[in-house]
Amino acid sequence: MKRQHAPLIGGLALAAFFVAFPFIYTAGDYPFIMHVLITGFFYAILASSWSMLAGYGGQFSFGHMGFTAIGAYTAALFSHYLYISPVATNLCTEFAIGGKYLLILNPVGVTSSTLSQDCLTKAMEIWGGTVQVTPMPVLGGIILGAIMGGVFGLLIGVLVLPLRAAYLALFTLGFSEILRAVISGEIAVTRGQAGLELPKLFPNGITVFGRYFDKTDKLPPYFVMLGLLALSLLSLTWLARSKFGLFVRALREDQDAAAALGVNTTRYKVLIFVITSMIAATAGAVMAYYVGIVTPNNLIILQMSLVVAMAVIGGVENIYAAAIGAIMIEFLLEFLRNSFQIGPFEVNMVTWRLVVFGIVLMLTLRFSRNGIISPIIDYFLRGHVARETVAKREAASNKSDEVSS
Amino acid sequence: MQVEYSHIFWSVLGWMIFWGVIGSIWTRRVYLRRDLDTSGAGFVGAMVGASFGPVGLIPLWAKTPTVSRHLQIWPTLASVGLIAAAFAVADPSNNCVSNGAFVASQISNGIIMGIIYGFMALGLTLIFSILGVVSFAHGEFYMIGGMVAYYVTTVWFPGISPLVGILAACGVAFIIGAAFERMFLTPMYSGKIERPSEYGILVTFGLAFTMQYFVQAVVGANPVKAQRYWDFPRLRIPSADSPWLLKTSRGNMQLFDTISISNPRFTAAVAAILVLLLLLYFLRKTWTGKALRAVSLDRDAAAIAGINPNRMNMLAFALGGTIAALAGSLLVQAFSWLPQVGGIPTLRSFVIVVLGGLGSLPGAFFGGIIVGLVEAAGTGCVPDPQRAASYIPAYGMIVLTLTLLLRPTGLFGRRFSGGAQGSFK
Repeated sequence: MKRQHAPLIGGLALAAFFVAFPFIYTAGDYPFIMHVLITGFFYAILASSWSMLAGYGGQFSFGHMGFTAIGAYTAALFSHYLYISPVATNLCTEFAIGGKYLLILNPVGVTSSTLSQDCLTKAMEIWGGTVQVTPMPVLGGIILGAIMGGVFGLLIGVLVLPLRAAYLALFTLGFSEILRAVISGEIAVTRGQAGLELPKLFPNGITVFGRYFDKTDKLPPYFVMLGLLALSLLSLTWLARSKFGLFVRALREDQDAAAALGVNTTRYKVLIFVITSMIAATAGAVMAYYVGIVTPNNLIILQMSLVVAMAVIGGVENIYAAAIGAIMIEFLLEFLRNSFQIGPFEVNMVTWRLVVFGIVLMLTLRFSRNGIISPIIDYFLRGHVARETVAKREAASNKSDEVSS
Repeated sequence: MQVEYSHIFWSVLGWMIFWGVIGSIWTRRVYLRRDLDTSGAGFVGAMVGASFGPVGLIPLWAKTPTVSRHLQIWPTLASVGLIAAAFAVADPSNNCVSNGAFVASQISNGIIMGIIYGFMALGLTLIFSILGVVSFAHGEFYMIGGMVAYYVTTVWFPGISPLVGILAACGVAFIIGAAFERMFLTPMYSGKIERPSEYGILVTFGLAFTMQYFVQAVVGANPVKAQRYWDFPRLRIPSADSPWLLKTSRGNMQLFDTISISNPRFTAAVAAILVLLLLLYFLRKTWTGKALRAVSLDRDAAAIAGINPNRMNMLAFALGGTIAALAGSLLVQAFSWLPQVGGIPTLRSFVIVVLGGLGSLPGAFFGGIIVGLVEAAGTGCVPDPQRAASYIPAYGMIVLTLTLLLRPTGLFGRRFSGGAQGSFK
């Protein structure tokens, strides 16, 4: 076994471990561990796509959670306001499509009074349980969320074209804040801080290989999220290795030089925004269906700080390192919650863990700019290259010594 | 609450955006085609388009006058006036339209808060113009300043002079700023880091995160509020019976019977102006101040003249943090304080600094007043107070977005020799 194969083998072993894990692990906290892993995969998708955008593309956007929220809210609004009914309600806005009716519910916001119910509830009361309406398919919500993420990515990508560094970070942070304000402000439609409820990822349960899984079972969403992580890592790898990745890295290093060498800088700068925001939006939509509720709290700066810190601690220029860093940090954060006492002082780890985390982030940036995990991968990948180079140089210097003597 | 004729407002806004976009794109092209200076042409086009529509754009394209200050200011004011007029027509019963006293007190409040905002943004712009770093931890210094002032004046030594609390806040912020700069920002100057501006963003972001949760871990997440630092003397001018010009109670001041200013805000604004004057004196007259400005103009030349740029970096970062902490320690008597209060001021200071032009001191001050007025208008005029409150962080961000799209150099932008982010294009 050559040393440069170690990361590949390690990666495959890790993937195999994650596939096998839910079948091996049987301890009592199984649902909790599974939840932590699913959240870890979610952050891994975000961290790796952010590292593609920031590490490869050099565009330090702070709007990544904004795209996640766009995916999540698109899916939530889609599932919350659209229904298909076999009978006309004559109350809602409705369109007849081939004998069925597409209902668009009227927004009523957060209300407990029976006076302002939404039109479907009223219609159901009139029908008295005789009519079954079908909600929208979950997959449709996810796809729509991804498309909306792409559309907004295109918009933001075009708007930030002339901006660099601090200006870009500020603009994207501003985008995220405006989005949060709109979502918390438009209570009639988004229900503000109360959050929008969604159906579960598999609302009717699912049967795989003859085994039935309930809608609250953790196993199907686990594999959906793992699959999405694998898919996004594969597509990001493919992108990074193709001409696209080369162009994007050239843009990062020197935009003018890249343009002079014939790289369509505008197209690639926008494209990398669109792709990474689509990935973030898809992850956001899937996570929203898994959790079952979306609130504007997804958009607070803490969430974005977590993604940034995960990517930076893992290694911002390596999507795999960022993903592993994200899963690792999510685990550490969940398991450092236990408070303990030192003498008379009670140390509330729920907050102190974030302090430690911030210090680790700063120290990583200061002393190991490529993160903690990425140098390990590089050690295995490039170690032999360095040794060969050293050997060649030694040989060359020996030869020149001989010539000179 | 539903606005009566909201469609009027939105259609006017849509019309303005439509012609503004057309104006901004086409005017640039027209100027380019005629081989004229295009800097500012897009901005003028957008504003003329937004305010006068095609009626203004066609003469502009026909004559293509040189972009003067008048051509920039008047259409901008006309656009703002048009939006205000559309709002007044669309919602005639709104407090902002029908109640003159309310408008007057909103404007005075906006200006007072704007002075404090501008003062705080001054710290950020000082850091930027000398280090070339946009400090994402600026609001955390503000938060720390408020916390220290609260603990000194209210918890640890109740009854002590508030001046001690303010000085303690400044001292703590100065030490944190200087130590952080020495520990984390020094590798930026020696060229060891490939992309220093991104490093600066991330590392100050880490500092903000650490500081916020450190304070939360130490003091908890309950809101605190300091005592009023002093009381107004009881005054009635011109006389006790007819309080027409000025009337004060202990915590409030009333001007002309309509405008009411609370003591903490008044104190903070007056103190901000005094410190601003001191700061200007320091920057213009003392050797250290001159050295700071010299480094912001030209690092290498300053070094040749015998100024140690590294020491100036430390001083600038610490001083910037101190200014934010001072603003915090003055405002802790006006607002309730939480470890999370730093977030919005950070963003607001960015907005002000970008609006005023990164690195421009007068720009920061005027930008602060504009942002203060926009926020006052936003919170006072948007129907439905709950919605208005949720949008508070967004008002500044809308200003930022418009600035970056229309006029990325800001009001008083200038070029920088020092600093990695001097060029944005």
